[in-house]
Amino acid sequence: MNARIERDNIVTQSLGQIGACGLFLLQILAATPRSLRRHVRETVRQLWFVGAMSLTIIMVCGLFVGMVLALQLYHVLSIFGGTAATGTVVAISIYRELGPVITALLFAGRAGTAITAEIGLMRATDQIAAMELMAVDPLAYVAAPRFLAGLIALPLLCCVFSALGIFGGHLVGVTWLGIDNGTFWSNMTATVDVWQDIISGVVWKSLAFGAVVALIAVFQGYTAPPTSEGVAYATTRTVVASSIAILALDFVLTAFLM
Amino acid sequence: MSQRKSYAVGTGLFIVLGFAALAYLATQTSSVANRQQGDSYTVDAQFQNIGQLKERAPVKIAGVRVGQVQSIALEPGKAVADVKLSIDKRYDTIPTDSVATVYTSGLLGDQYVGIEYGHAKKYVANGGKLALTRSSEPLEEMLGKFFGAGGAADAIGGTYKVFARFSNVGTLSAGSPVKMAGVPIGRVVSVQAEPDKLDALVTLAIDNRYNQIPDDSAAAVFTSGLIGSQYVAIQPGGSPDMLKNGDEMILTQSAMQLEDLIGKFLVNGSGSGDGKQGAGASTSPAGKH
Repeated sequence: MNARIERDNIVTQSLGQIGACGLFLLQILAATPRSLRRHVRETVRQLWFVGAMSLTIIMVCGLFVGMVLALQLYHVLSIFGGTAATGTVVAISIYRELGPVITALLFAGRAGTAITAEIGLMRATDQIAAMELMAVDPLAYVAAPRFLAGLIALPLLCCVFSALGIFGGHLVGVTWLGIDNGTFWSNMTATVDVWQDIISGVVWKSLAFGAVVALIAVFQGYTAPPTSEGVAYATTRTVVASSIAILALDFVLTAFLM
Repeated sequence: MSQRKSYAVGTGLFIVLGFAALAYLATQTSSVANRQQGDSYTVDAQFQNIGQLKERAPVKIAGVRVGQVQSIALEPGKAVADVKLSIDKRYDTIPTDSVATVYTSGLLGDQYVGIEYGHAKKYVANGGKLALTRSSEPLEEMLGKFFGAGGAADAIGGTYKVFARFSNVGTLSAGSPVKMAGVPIGRVVSVQAEPDKLDALVTLAIDNRYNQIPDDSAAAVFTSGLIGSQYVAIQPGGSPDMLKNGDEMILTQSAMQLEDLIGKFLVNGSGSGDGKQGAGASTSPAGKH
């Protein structure tokens, strides 16, 4: 895993990274049953760190995204006399795109970087080597719990984000701009579909994003060069690679789920 | 140990919150939702046509929201929509002979139920019924009834040519339909400007089957629907002589701009202030049940 591909061209390097990442995913999945048997507490602790501790930023961002969406849409839709559709458009754009994508991007920045830095420093300070000496499997104790925590936390965070987004949209649309409350909700409920929008949008997309972000974060930390520069570089790469992966995957998933 | 416990409790709270949010999204903001409201009573109203009316659409009296549409169902065995209105307890003095109408907010807006008070001394009770209703009228139908539009062009065999002069043909062009009583009877062959008379000369090719058109009939340029294409409508006159090939129609009415149309429409229709009420007044009166 530590074998770095030195001074190679960028294509080989990227392919090597992707391949190593894929193999690492298989290792994590193989270690998951062991991890759940012996270190389930660690998963709960990580869920607390990456999930519960991210709630504040997710809720605040969700609220503001919903508010600004309603504000923008109201002014555009008022040109066509269609302000009654504000709630519908806010809900659909949050459920299908903004909720999963922004939550995943925030999650990569808030929790992904922390995971990478923590694991990278564990390696740099030889904690992982120490675990191996103590016959504690670092994949089951360090990698798998963080991966699982990301996988579980992101869909939940996305639901919270979406709910706060709708609330923000309602706040601006109904309370501030004066769209009729019943019209707001009736149009929304008439158009939003549980399976098409909420299950395949909010739940499936954010599950996929959670897996990708958590995998990249853990992988970058696990393979970071054991120097302060290496950890810093790995942390940066977590954010860059996660963001690209989220947006690219978003397009692919949308094409499949639509 | 206590710290570990606080993690577990916090994580549990987080998971519960996440699922609560999901449940909220799934039940309150999507099509399975059924929102509750404050104290209310239910009134039935039956409509011939509810148009785009949806559940939870507002119910308004004098433009003020007093409740919402609770359910919409087809009356068993009849082509009649049974609409249950859930009205706030505070507004419990609606006379039994009040009229419920399906209105549209604005031109393209959402539909809602408007109630106009009657004069009865008795008030509608919970489970009661508003017998007088007025159905939703599609906008095209309203404009159509008002202006005599509707229908589409037809392919035609033998024709005869008639001329008509308009001071403004709007977007009328060669190929546009010619209609009488809404039925396509021919098409526009050409639209030419007449430099000396400062108007447009329109050549109409009318099907030979329709050769019984009085020669004092009027030709008008109308628009089908709101943003539809324009066509020439012929309104028959009373002359005993019929139009022949090469005749010119003297009475013509030029194209009107959409703004003019709506303006005229609203002004003509509104007997009692409210523009939307005018829309209903120009159509058939209350359906009785």
